[in-house]
Amino acid sequence: MTVPDNRGGDSPEGLKRPRRIDGAPDEHRSDDAPDDRPRPRVMADATDGAAALPDAAAARPRVILDEGAKPTPRLDFGWDKAVAPVTLPVGRGWSSVALVGAGAALLVLGFSILEAGNFIAEQFARAAWLGGVTLAVALGGFGLVFAAIWREVRGYLALRTVDRARAALARGDAVELRAKLDAWQARLPAGRARAGDLGAAPIDAIVALVEAKMLAPIAQDAAALGRAAAVQAFAVTAVSPSPAADALIFVWRGLRLVRQVAALHGFRPGIAGTIALLRRVAVDAATVAATDVAVDAAVRGLLSSKLAEHVAGEAAAGAVAARRMILLSRAADEACRVLPRR
Amino acid sequence: MDPLSLLRGILDTTEDAARALVGRERIRLAVTGLSRAGKTVFLTSLIANLLAAGRGARTLPALSDAAGGRIRRVFIVPAGTETVPRFDPDAHLGALATDPPRWPERTEDFSTLSIAIDVERRTSLGGMLPERRITLDLIDYPGEWLLDLPMLRQDFAAWSEETLARLQRGMRAGAAAGFLAFLDGLPDDAAAEDALAKRGYTLYRDMLRTCRDVHGLRFLQPGRFLNPGPRGEAPLLWFFPMPATARGGLAQLCARRFDAYLADQRATFLDPFFSRFHRQVVLVDVLGALHAGEEAFHDTGDALSAVASIISGANWLERLLGAAPMRVAFAATKADHVPTRARDALAALVEHITLGARGRAEQSGAAVSFHAVAAIRCTEDAVARLEGHSVAAVRGVLLQDGVGATIYPGEVPMKPPEAAFWDAGLFTMPEFRPPRLDPAGVSGMPHLGLDALLAWLIGDAL
Ligand SMILES: Nc1nc2c(ncn2[C@@H]2O[C@H](COP(=O)(O)OP(=O)(O)OP(=O)(O)O)[C@@H](O)[C@H]2O)c(=O)[nH]1
Ligand SMILES: [Mg+2]
Repeated sequence: MTVPDNRGGDSPEGLKRPRRIDGAPDEHRSDDAPDDRPRPRVMADATDGAAALPDAAAARPRVILDEGAKPTPRLDFGWDKAVAPVTLPVGRGWSSVALVGAGAALLVLGFSILEAGNFIAEQFARAAWLGGVTLAVALGGFGLVFAAIWREVRGYLALRTVDRARAALARGDAVELRAKLDAWQARLPAGRARAGDLGAAPIDAIVALVEAKMLAPIAQDAAALGRAAAVQAFAVTAVSPSPAADALIFVWRGLRLVRQVAALHGFRPGIAGTIALLRRVAVDAATVAATDVAVDAAVRGLLSSKLAEHVAGEAAAGAVAARRMILLSRAADEACRVLPRR
Repeated sequence: MDPLSLLRGILDTTEDAARALVGRERIRLAVTGLSRAGKTVFLTSLIANLLAAGRGARTLPALSDAAGGRIRRVFIVPAGTETVPRFDPDAHLGALATDPPRWPERTEDFSTLSIAIDVERRTSLGGMLPERRITLDLIDYPGEWLLDLPMLRQDFAAWSEETLARLQRGMRAGAAAGFLAFLDGLPDDAAAEDALAKRGYTLYRDMLRTCRDVHGLRFLQPGRFLNPGPRGEAPLLWFFPMPATARGGLAQLCARRFDAYLADQRATFLDPFFSRFHRQVVLVDVLGALHAGEEAFHDTGDALSAVASIISGANWLERLLGAAPMRVAFAATKADHVPTRARDALAALVEHITLGARGRAEQSGAAVSFHAVAAIRCTEDAVARLEGHSVAAVRGVLLQDGVGATIYPGEVPMKPPEAAFWDAGLFTMPEFRPPRLDPAGVSGMPHLGLDALLAWLIGDAL
């Protein structure tokens, strides 16, 4: 709170003090304290005399111990609850497009199942062996369809671990974070270094460990993938007949790159997962683009290579394409990390 | 300003500009306060509450609002290869949270820590750009050392004259009787005997200690006499103020040691860490000074203004180079020692006690404001019955034996009180137990007014 400067210097209320009623006993005297621990005390006694200075000796500061002087628990202002982050009810309902899509999918799938059921029943009516074969075909077909759906859902949900782990970290919830990290470790491709048992380590230590043992090597591999893709993109723009073809190849290569990087992190997103992933990458790309000197350094490293010398004429367009690939690998890595980059 | 520091000033200013351009500002925050003012506790609470705010907790609502809710992340900048000790907020927080709790010890050495605050950019296109990162550089040190700053502009003769004059007055005269008698007994041409130098030093140092611990005085120089720091007492310290009439070898020895002392303090403490601040907060234990009596009260004010003339004062060149703090907040600490309705008075009183200090800051173009804060709130409002009257008081749990107590802190005047006020006698405010705290510091710690202080001090930089 800031106090305005213009307060009148002569206001009398500043010095007004409660009137002293004479003869009152001083409630707290510790001169007779049984032990010699330092205790709060009223130090000067000069004006303590009841009638000494009836006007000036107004109420002096004092300490009034509780009755019985029993140890009391520490105060609790309910601070933790008062400052707890407001968790907005996540109104992440379905968008209309998604509803229409889901409805259409349900209709197609549902009606085809019903249709198939009817058909199988008909076939059974004709001949038992005919019904059996039809049932087998239907089960096989639908089985494949459901397997695909299951894979999609799993790929999509796997990405959510990232959000959950990061949220746990932000909340400082060590238990949840450890659980999410364990689940994530289990999903990593074989051959990846693992941080192992995170035990009862404090959050800081967990974060540092996971970063050093797992996320840093993954980021290196992602960067290597990015460089490989950059070289290809550069080469393509140098030799391709038309800009349109460039773009097409670029999109395809970029998509593959993002999925490759996701695979490094143990995610194998299906179609829905890939779309979700791309959305995240787009968000992170803006950040990475402007902050990352590493991107520029990598591009410069590439362009001073032999390849660049041979196709110097196209270097400008090629550099842009190459830069984007490296950027994309960084952004994809950023999007897939279970813990945000420090 | 010598050419070297001018060059350094220009380089620093260039660096500041470059950092601002790429959204990587660095704010050097000077937390100044005399000994026991509450610097260490203030920093601990500041860090804990900022970190919690970075996790989304509303521990510093006024600061969050000043930043438009754009604070995204707050973290402690990882250590580099610094040779200075690191301020350890976790250890302090842990000690405050254990049962029974412990307040930080007297700070004995310099320590530093940097906190990074990531904020979203203000512009509508800000979402496309990376977040801005503001780094807050913090320092902690023994409060006694602060009084070495004004000594830097004095030579031995001037310092001796001023110091000896002060020793003749008030409560100091009593405490210094032994030392002054020793000085009187010294012949003017005393030889450079180390035994004499050491004797004088010991007497002078003990006098300083008595002044600090018994009388609550604060204008006590040199600082390392009271708090020798991690290196302990070195022969460097064996000097004491001497009258102008003394011309012998001993006087020369003292003068040499005085110069060496200042050179050492300048090299190890003041130059590397105590120059070029962007913001400053001056912490004052006003209530403690008030309770320690008239002389201690004015002494605190004098000490603060002497310090301010170095830290917040700046000539036009320094101002041009941005070497002086732009904003200086004066804060009465331990505001939880008085009931809510007395806190305005506390802030008003801090305005008066820091009159000299504030003049220096305003002269060099800084904006100033006055606050009453409690870094850790340890009490709640209560009503005490005094001689049949109800008075506003506070209730807390005493540190010593965990007993609950109601404390009537006396009336807090809004300006330096008149003579009659002091007749009420002296009072020592008891230490309180901090409230229940989470040792991990997930939700910071309860405070009073810390957020408003920070919002004013650094809100515009976020
Ligand atoms: N009730 C209450 N007491 C406080 C608060 N801040 C500080 N104190 C008390 O003041 C004492 C001194 O605080 P410190 O932060 O250690 O003081 P300092 O300025 O670092 O002192 P030096 O290190 O000696 O320079 C603490 O031990 C507490 O008892 C507060 O916000 N509320
Ligand atoms: Mg301290």
